[in-house]
Amino acid sequence: MKTMKRIIFMTLTVLLFVSCSSDDDNQPEYIPAAFEKGILITNEGPFNNGSGNITYISEDYSTVVQNIFKNVNGSNLGNIVQSMGFQDNIAYIVVSNSQKIEIANRYTFQRIDSVTTGLVNPRYFVSVGGNKGYVSNWGDPNDNTDDYLAVLDLRTNTVSATIPVAFGPERMVVANNKIYVAHQGAYGQNNLISVISGTTVESTIPVGDVPNSMVVSGNTLYVLCGGNPSYTGSETAGSLVKIDLATGQVSQTFSFGTTQHPTSLTMDGAKLFYNLDGKVYKVDTASISLPGADIINGNFYTLQAKDGKLYAADAKDYASRGSLIIYDLSTNQQIQEFETGIVPGGIYFNE
Amino acid sequence: MKQIWLHIIFVVFLCTASAYAQLDSIQHLPEVMLTDSKLVQFSKGFKLEKLGDSLIKKNATSLTETLRYNTSIYFRENGFGMVSSPSFRGTNAAQTAVVWNGININSVFTGQTDFNTISPLNYSEITIRSGGGGVQYGSGAVGGSIHLNDAYSFQKIDTTQVGLRYGSFSTVGGNASTTQTWGDHYLNVGVDFISSENDYDYVGKNQKNTHGQFVRFKAKVNEARKLKRGVATWNSEYSYNDRNFSGSLNTKGKDAYKDVTTRNLWQLQQKVGVFNTKGSVAHLFERYNYFPDSEKAFNTGGKANTFIGAFQAEIFLQKKLRLNGKVEYTYVDAEGDNVGENSRKTLAAVVLMNHRLSEKFNYGINLRQEFLNDFDNPFLFSADAKYSVSKNYALRLNGSKNYRVPTFNDLYWYAGGNMDLQPETSYQMELGQEFSVGKLKADVAAYYISSEDLIKWVPGNGGLWQPINISKTRNYGIEAVLGYYLKFSKRHSLDFNANYSYTKAEDLEKEKQLIYVPFHKAAGTMEYSFNYFSVYVQGLFNGEAYTTTDNSESVDRYTVFNIGAQYTLPFNPNITFGGRLKNVFNVYYENVAYRPMPSRNLQIFLNFNI
Repeated sequence: MKTMKRIIFMTLTVLLFVSCSSDDDNQPEYIPAAFEKGILITNEGPFNNGSGNITYISEDYSTVVQNIFKNVNGSNLGNIVQSMGFQDNIAYIVVSNSQKIEIANRYTFQRIDSVTTGLVNPRYFVSVGGNKGYVSNWGDPNDNTDDYLAVLDLRTNTVSATIPVAFGPERMVVANNKIYVAHQGAYGQNNLISVISGTTVESTIPVGDVPNSMVVSGNTLYVLCGGNPSYTGSETAGSLVKIDLATGQVSQTFSFGTTQHPTSLTMDGAKLFYNLDGKVYKVDTASISLPGADIINGNFYTLQAKDGKLYAADAKDYASRGSLIIYDLSTNQQIQEFETGIVPGGIYFNE
Repeated sequence: MKQIWLHIIFVVFLCTASAYAQLDSIQHLPEVMLTDSKLVQFSKGFKLEKLGDSLIKKNATSLTETLRYNTSIYFRENGFGMVSSPSFRGTNAAQTAVVWNGININSVFTGQTDFNTISPLNYSEITIRSGGGGVQYGSGAVGGSIHLNDAYSFQKIDTTQVGLRYGSFSTVGGNASTTQTWGDHYLNVGVDFISSENDYDYVGKNQKNTHGQFVRFKAKVNEARKLKRGVATWNSEYSYNDRNFSGSLNTKGKDAYKDVTTRNLWQLQQKVGVFNTKGSVAHLFERYNYFPDSEKAFNTGGKANTFIGAFQAEIFLQKKLRLNGKVEYTYVDAEGDNVGENSRKTLAAVVLMNHRLSEKFNYGINLRQEFLNDFDNPFLFSADAKYSVSKNYALRLNGSKNYRVPTFNDLYWYAGGNMDLQPETSYQMELGQEFSVGKLKADVAAYYISSEDLIKWVPGNGGLWQPINISKTRNYGIEAVLGYYLKFSKRHSLDFNANYSYTKAEDLEKEKQLIYVPFHKAAGTMEYSFNYFSVYVQGLFNGEAYTTTDNSESVDRYTVFNIGAQYTLPFNPNITFGGRLKNVFNVYYENVAYRPMPSRNLQIFLNFNI
């Protein structure tokens, strides 16, 4: 009997040592009726082992909702939410490491469909003419010859054609039904803009090294080139390149200092903004002289200017929640700061 | 047949005896000697936990498994069999040294050891030494060190053991080893392999681990020869791992990793006058190839050769004071696609002292100074003491300064490597209490570690990540270990082992818990034996661990149970077979976010002695 008691006692001890339950999942947060009139931020998520997500901040700053896709649909977006593009009411969310595009209503974030075949390390999405989307793809990042654009039929949400392009296609802009693709160069460096029309590469325009961001204004395409970083052993200066869309030629190139590597070009009215060495600079397109005026201190992962405000994403240590800081461009003062998800990399607006 | 058993029992007994026998080793060579005898002799005030054979065999798949269930170390494992890095007392993987026969074998490139590349079956003993061991074991012995030791003997031994294992997910494993002695010779040869499809279900996720196949092969040779006034030994091992890396819940696995290591150690022990001397030469080789796409030939890799030459002399005065002086020269030459070709030289001088002041009180002081290397050469020390208050109760105290030198990746990685890095430094204290009442043994330890200049990769201007000596951490916690053995009668017995740890590891700048350090961890095994039959239950509780530096996200706590049984044939006690059911309740759990661990699975095994 005594032995029996001992056995029972010890069994219980083992069980006590190790018992516990784990059924407390994340509580769904408050969901507004729709995510209209506000800011959408795509958060890449932790690099290796997590999911990115989308943060919504209402235009009047009264409502902030994290992780809206999962809240609405119950599932994670996937690993590395790289960017988002739109066509009418529909958002195309590019999830690069999960090799897919999630498609959802941009105002309710109800999931509609997804594209999971035909994409290899997809980066950005643009739509053209209502029925077609273009997705830049790195292919195998260690193979510089398999990079392509996937042409998406937006009626069936399938890849209808692929267009082989030069190495490292990244951001794209659309002007006059043509797609301008910046070849930033994936994990390496490149220095081209491809011009796509339909399913053919119409031309390639050499620009500065590492074209990392673009804006279109009227008939001008502004391309900000970071230049080759010093670790490449062939460091080159950053540059701002003006391309005349009518001729498809570079009309002017402005150079930075050799060790200056600017990023994140954005535009509001006639002013360009970009990030360089821990400062945001402002440049007047009417009389470009570099580097321009430094107006804000900070090292931001991405910038977006709109209607007199600058939206700046701070990824902090890339392993914790970042923030979105909003500046008033008339005073260059911070007016708001909001917590985002991990590695906020894209800033978009819903009207 | 019976004789063989007697031999095994005798060998096991002698191993234990030599580990705890304090002072006779100068006068007579003990029958079974550890290749790294310093581990026991100069760590009296440190916590040493030796894992017995039966504990190891219960979790024999990898060293990760063995230690997860039997110690308080947390493993950050990217899915079963994938890269696995330890957190010992809340420190990171590069602050945990793995020591093979006295030699630090952490990778030249990463500074850490992947515990899934090591088979636990290949060594005479596995010992966990908690706390700072920088003086004896060099860089990285901050949280503690894991010792993989071989032993030798000149008693008559003639054993051959073969084990076969088969399990879920097309897992096949086997090991064979033979130990022979004749005249003045000792020879131990063994091989060990495991291969698995590893295609387990992600419990409740309707997904499978489709890209986690792995193969591991190991071979070892240990030889010793008695000389007129000493012993010559040779320890050698080879290991090969070929793994596809699993994806996560959000990504499909695509990459693969292959690695090869060889390790060789030659030692000559001679008695010269009053001195016991030991000269040693060692060569370590490591090579890895990382395939971003397992279906393609493209890969990046690296290889490193490490040469070590050392000489030590030890004197034992009046059976009380043991002094050991050692000079060790290390030359590392490494070459890799991402780090170029570089070398490193280090000369270290070490003085170890242990003094038994009385039957009850023992203390030690250890010092290390390095020369020649590229850093501000650190001076390391440790002091330890043990006081046996009574037969049932002892106190242990130790303090030390330890360091970790930057790895070749930290220094030379293209792009980002920073050649201005300095070693991380850390100070620590530990107070331990040991209780023993009959067959009940308990150990409770409290520790405090303060580290600074920790190397961290941070993003700089222009998005380039670079390592810098930036962070400061403070770790403290308690660990409790309990062991109980109960023999009811000649036939029935009960064996119980459990451990619990509380770990607080704080980034002092952010004032947040470090990522992947759970506050609570507990594990226990209870085994009931009846005649030739035994059955056990094993449980593991792992507390919630944060996965982001602002502690905003975490991996959930989990509890996993395994059960097992084995039977030895009464008419032929050389044959034992049995099985284990792992993750009995089929729970979902992960040690790294979004990287699920296996669903319920079964293993069967057959062991026999020839």
